[in-house]
Amino acid sequence: MPNKNTLFVGKVSRRFSALPSTNDYAANWLLRERPAEGAAILADHQTAGRGQMGNTWDTESGQNLTVSVIFYPTFLLARDQFELNQALALAVRDAVANFTEKPVIVKWPNDILIGERKICGILIQNSLSGPNIQSSIVGMGINVNQEAFAPGLSRASSLYLETGQKIDLNDLMLTLFAHLETRYLQLRQGGIDNIRTDYLQHLYRRNERRQFAYPDGRQFYGTITGVDKNGKLKIETGGQVELFAIKDVVYVY
Amino acid sequence: MTFKEIQDLLKLISKLELAEFKLKEDEFELVVRTKEYYKGRGKGNIVSTAAPLLPVSTVPPSFAQPQAAPAPAPAPKAESAAPAKSESEESDESANYLPIKSPMVGTFYRSSSPDKAAYVKVGDVVEAGSVVCIIEAMKLFNEIESEISGRIVKVMVEDAQPVEYDQVLFLVDPKG
Repeated sequence: MPNKNTLFVGKVSRRFSALPSTNDYAANWLLRERPAEGAAILADHQTAGRGQMGNTWDTESGQNLTVSVIFYPTFLLARDQFELNQALALAVRDAVANFTEKPVIVKWPNDILIGERKICGILIQNSLSGPNIQSSIVGMGINVNQEAFAPGLSRASSLYLETGQKIDLNDLMLTLFAHLETRYLQLRQGGIDNIRTDYLQHLYRRNERRQFAYPDGRQFYGTITGVDKNGKLKIETGGQVELFAIKDVVYVY
Repeated sequence: MTFKEIQDLLKLISKLELAEFKLKEDEFELVVRTKEYYKGRGKGNIVSTAAPLLPVSTVPPSFAQPQAAPAPAPAPKAESAAPAKSESEESDESANYLPIKSPMVGTFYRSSSPDKAAYVKVGDVVEAGSVVCIIEAMKLFNEIESEISGRIVKVMVEDAQPVEYDQVLFLVDPKG
């Protein structure tokens, strides 16, 4: 557990009882004022939170941690951005792991699971100019004390449901900031090899023979062996390793 | 393709009243756009295309007839009757366009979400720093900013298509 006194993550923050989307607020803030690196936006309730391209993210007011953090990873080439994703997903995983004995794992590319249930989603929005990343808005939604989910969300859970304990949101927030800073600095200081190793170590379904499906519905058994440099998922199936982009593969449960 | 074959092809295109016709064979590329193509489009859409051999930007339906005459008849239109000349003009012009390239492998999106308008379209003026598109890879969304100022003359990739590293996404006329 790193020291919760961070150097820069969360040192500047804005908190709202309700916001349409913390990432959208961050984007506007960035455009208007370009706040210090590590600036954070928190919302007790997010009314138009987003997942991947249009998917909505369901949060109950005051029960969960909804936060976006602004980084300026100008040291990173746009083409290497999956490294940033690996570092940040690990940071969230590490933070959550402080609050449960159960294994906390990363589902490629950046969902955080306890067992097979999703408790956190991450939405990263970068701004690129030329070959480099100018800024990165990292939105995180962690289900913390929510006691029930809509019946359609059978794979969603919360820290409370998994541990039976109500968790102090402020404590979780400070823990998260500390881990974000640790992993971000590790990346900036050239620690990508260790980040890759840790990401693989905590990767959901790695080295397990499990069922997947192609977008056309054809199912297959395969074993996740890792990710390539662009972040594509490597699944070994039928004696060959196939590479998958995000929309090319579905996990079958 | 021989000149005769191109003539025959143009006749056929004229007869079929097509809006646009594209043919690509190795290094050779032919793009024919008729008046139909430009109907209902903004003026900014009349862009030159990268057709190295015979860049016929606009072929009026009447084009095929005068061309069919083998005699060195006066050109009905300078641009269509003198391929060699327009070719050089064309490449000179294209050479002055600057590319906006993809800095990464991913999927190209022209708008921030399917129900939103495109960031830029042909004819729009962009400045350095203007967002021109989104490239998504593995759930990471990237707003691509133009590094140059000018007018968008061509969108090189269709919405939601995969792009490679360094692939040209837009052509920009820096003169505006």
